[in-house]
Amino acid sequence: METINNLMMTINNLFLIITAFIRSFFADPHSLWANLTMYVINFIIVVVIIVLAALILILLERKVAGWTSQRSGPNRLGPRGWFQTIADAIKLLGKEDLTPAGADKFMFKVAPMIIFSLPMLSLAVIPFGKGLAPINLDLGIIYYLAITSISTVAFLMAGWGSNNKYALIGGMREVAQMISYEIPLLFSVLGVVMITQSFNLGVIVEAQSSIPFIVLQPLGFVIFIIAGMAEVNRAPFDLVEADQEVVAGPFVEYTGLRWGLFFLGEYGNMTAMSALAATVFLGGWQGPGFLPGWIWFWMKAGIIIFFMMWVRWTFPRIRIDHLMHFAWKVLLPLSIANIFLTGLGIYIYRLVMGG
Amino acid sequence: MFGKGLLQGLGITLKRMVGPNITEFYPEQKPNLPIRVRSSMGLQKDKCISCNMCAMACPNGVIKLTSEKGENNKKVLKSYHMDVGRCLFCGMCTEVCPTKALTVTQEYENAVYEPVDLKWDMIERAERKGKVE
Repeated sequence: METINNLMMTINNLFLIITAFIRSFFADPHSLWANLTMYVINFIIVVVIIVLAALILILLERKVAGWTSQRSGPNRLGPRGWFQTIADAIKLLGKEDLTPAGADKFMFKVAPMIIFSLPMLSLAVIPFGKGLAPINLDLGIIYYLAITSISTVAFLMAGWGSNNKYALIGGMREVAQMISYEIPLLFSVLGVVMITQSFNLGVIVEAQSSIPFIVLQPLGFVIFIIAGMAEVNRAPFDLVEADQEVVAGPFVEYTGLRWGLFFLGEYGNMTAMSALAATVFLGGWQGPGFLPGWIWFWMKAGIIIFFMMWVRWTFPRIRIDHLMHFAWKVLLPLSIANIFLTGLGIYIYRLVMGG
Repeated sequence: MFGKGLLQGLGITLKRMVGPNITEFYPEQKPNLPIRVRSSMGLQKDKCISCNMCAMACPNGVIKLTSEKGENNKKVLKSYHMDVGRCLFCGMCTEVCPTKALTVTQEYENAVYEPVDLKWDMIERAERKGKVE
């Protein structure tokens, strides 16, 4: 029993032990250079997480799409088709890199890079385990939502830079949608912030040691998931990209790896959004002790990712006016009501507990 | 209840997801074709009496056959060509065939690289098929 407990502790703190080991190479383990090294390593790990997540998720999405329609999905390359994404990536690498005539070259080229870099920035504040936040930021949630909202600018840049009217229309619609859904998204998280009295994601996870906030904030969670799905432009809210109907919204003119970067960024954003949902509402790395915290975290994030895919392959696409109505007339009042109810609940709780 | 349909839809897709797939892994697993499938033609040379009725019945003029007089003045089939590129597989030629020498078969891997390969020499095909089996 003692050895098993020790082993669990070791696995649980595996990454902290590795950190301490790397830091021990420096004369002063907390010097500027040691911190700098750790920042670089953390950054590389976040990038690896995003690339791996995109590789796995793209395949998983196609598999889920197949399974929901009683097919088996990609099944040729590798064991049961699990290497398909690698072949797709190589195919994208081999494509011609076109820049349309009259395009705003700088904006055209920088937009996919921005989209791809955003999930790296936003995943950097997520605590992946006990003491495992790459950056322990006090304004974690605000930072996260501020970073994800930059992607609206990048979509507009892509649409404008392409010198294509359909791309521009697509970009503007995407911006309209994302700005509308940012508000309920932010408000749905506010309930949790009110309970914990902190924007720090680490503190929020610590506060969920006894009960995850999905139990205290079910309405907030539902609003968060819906608005989050709209925010990362996934079906049923992907009417800008709409694979089956219009070409690709703001990405019409993109080819090869630039388009691939958008794709990677979409899946990275999805990972980041479900990581935030797992952190804020499902208790992050908190969980029964028989599994290490970082496995709990990724399991919770994975469940939300799976739910997003499940929803995507179940529901038909929403119409643009319904989309706006839904954001402003349903989600926004509901999220404000949620804030009021949370405030009332806190007030009553204090009255009863005499705090 | 509002949203009941959404939950129902999610339930149905989940059921489909965990249920069995209906995909046939074609090149590895050959499909079981329905009995009414008409996808290829087969000729039994010794049954054919060279009456030319199949060529007459064909709506597209697919069939071209030649024959020569053999012993006791009977027609013997010399060549039998089908331009499958124009064939509908309507089966009228087989219906009209008095000796059922020409039949519709269910071979389906008929894709070819060159247009000339669509001109089938039915006698040669019949001999080749006999060799394979």
